[in-house]
Amino acid sequence: MKRRFDLGNAAYYTLNGAILTFLLAPIAIVTVFALNPTPYISFPPVGVTWRWFDKFLSSPEFMDAFWLSFRVALAVLVLSMLIGGLCALALARGNLPGARLLTAFFMSPLMLPAILTGLALFQLYLILDIGRPVWGLIMGHTLVAVPYVLRTTLAVLHNFDRRIEEAAAVHGATPTRVFFEVTLPLIQPGVMAGGIFAFIVSFDQFPISLFLVPPRGETLPVVLFNYMKFDLDGAIAAASMVSILMAVSVVVLLEKVIGLKAYVKL
Amino acid sequence: MADVLRPRRTAVSPIAWALGPAILLFIIFFIMPFGTMALLSFLSGNPANNPNVFFTTRHYERFFGDSLYFEALVATLRIGVITTLASLLIGYPLAHWMARIPSRLGHALLLMAVIAPMLTGIVVRTFAWMTLLQDRGVINQTLMAWGLTNEPIRLMYNEFGTILALVHIYVPFMVLTLTGVIGRIDERLEQAARNLGANRVRAFIEVTLPLSLPGILAGSLLVFALSISAYVTPFLMGGTDVLTLPMLIYQQVGASFNMGFAGALGIILLGVSLVVVIAYNNVLGRFAGGEKMA
Repeated sequence: MKRRFDLGNAAYYTLNGAILTFLLAPIAIVTVFALNPTPYISFPPVGVTWRWFDKFLSSPEFMDAFWLSFRVALAVLVLSMLIGGLCALALARGNLPGARLLTAFFMSPLMLPAILTGLALFQLYLILDIGRPVWGLIMGHTLVAVPYVLRTTLAVLHNFDRRIEEAAAVHGATPTRVFFEVTLPLIQPGVMAGGIFAFIVSFDQFPISLFLVPPRGETLPVVLFNYMKFDLDGAIAAASMVSILMAVSVVVLLEKVIGLKAYVKL
Repeated sequence: MADVLRPRRTAVSPIAWALGPAILLFIIFFIMPFGTMALLSFLSGNPANNPNVFFTTRHYERFFGDSLYFEALVATLRIGVITTLASLLIGYPLAHWMARIPSRLGHALLLMAVIAPMLTGIVVRTFAWMTLLQDRGVINQTLMAWGLTNEPIRLMYNEFGTILALVHIYVPFMVLTLTGVIGRIDERLEQAARNLGANRVRAFIEVTLPLSLPGILAGSLLVFALSISAYVTPFLMGGTDVLTLPMLIYQQVGASFNMGFAGALGIILLGVSLVVVIAYNNVLGRFAGGEKMA
């Protein structure tokens, strides 16, 4: 009896170990290639070099794309925090009829294929004949980023006790004062966590950008994608490493700001 | 008590105005674009530069009249279904472990292991799989070095490679959805079954599995909706062997500049996705008592 018990456990952990390896190995392998000196993918690695990072950092094509992605993501961070934060407040505190349906509506860009959102925006800009301005790209990213802020902010709003606000009001605070001194500080972590997530979602956003990037200014994922169609050298791995490091810092930041747990309630 | 504290229950509060910016954003950049897409799918040309456009259903007729397009739809759905099933098989054990692990640190580490790949872009992760599965990739080079095979095995530029990479990209969504549901199942139910003589496997199949059904359905619908709309991964991993609807859509815009047909393809993919999303919301609503959003 005892023996079979252990065998079951061993199988369980072996299986889970294999799954974890499957999840993390591709990311580990990118690190290996970013540091491997041979121009083409070769395994096992033969040494350690920084030349791919040099190539990435000194290539105007990559760096322009990196900074464009970064600026777009910053704009999306600010816009989605503002729009999503306000929207969450209205949905949770506005006593709106049909608030649940409205919430589902504002969450829906997450559920619809992003490539369709890209195509639809592209066609709208085409019909309006406005070309492909950077602000058009930013608005497309913001549309998809707002649901993230909405989700985290709503989670915080539902979890905190409304009586705190009422207590402040009972003690003579005006509604404005209650808002700025009680409500806002309380929902701030939710809005910020959503904003950080919006930043990374925008930075990595591909399908919408594919349709909306300005002809002479492409974002990093689009440049990487175009480069990968023809070439698979260490520069891609180095660029990927930069993205991964950014993602890891975001995970750590999220854990610090609000705790991952509150955040992954899908 | 609560009624005394909140007498004004029905009146819409002024804070509802905070919805304004979001409504504006969604009307201009969500409803209008999708409306344009639907409109263009029924027009013979672009009304912005062509005064002689007329309404037509020819884009839809073209889709249903040519087996190539229909096969792309079937391939898209097939890849979606297989990706979903594989994600479920791989995601369930991990979700179970995450939900049941007693140590808080262990839980946090597992959570990070699941979320870190999620935050790494799709292009980057597809690149990682290309380095692994190419003819000169890690797996083939290792197999050849060990003398297990003389020539590279074709691991990518086919549906297999596409699905493998898609599973990797979407399995975290499955794990997170399942963990929440499994975590809410009382562990004592399983213990009770085992005390009554069921072995571990039977206790799992008869107790835990049925109770986690809402999570299985919700996670599956989510992964399915995501994988039928993937573009990068099928394009890079599938080579010429794989043609899916999202690839066709981009082709129509990038190469043929046929906005009407691209719109029709978009509407068809949207229809498929909407069915999935509505089913998803219904399933979540039924099992979670309507508390979940989207």
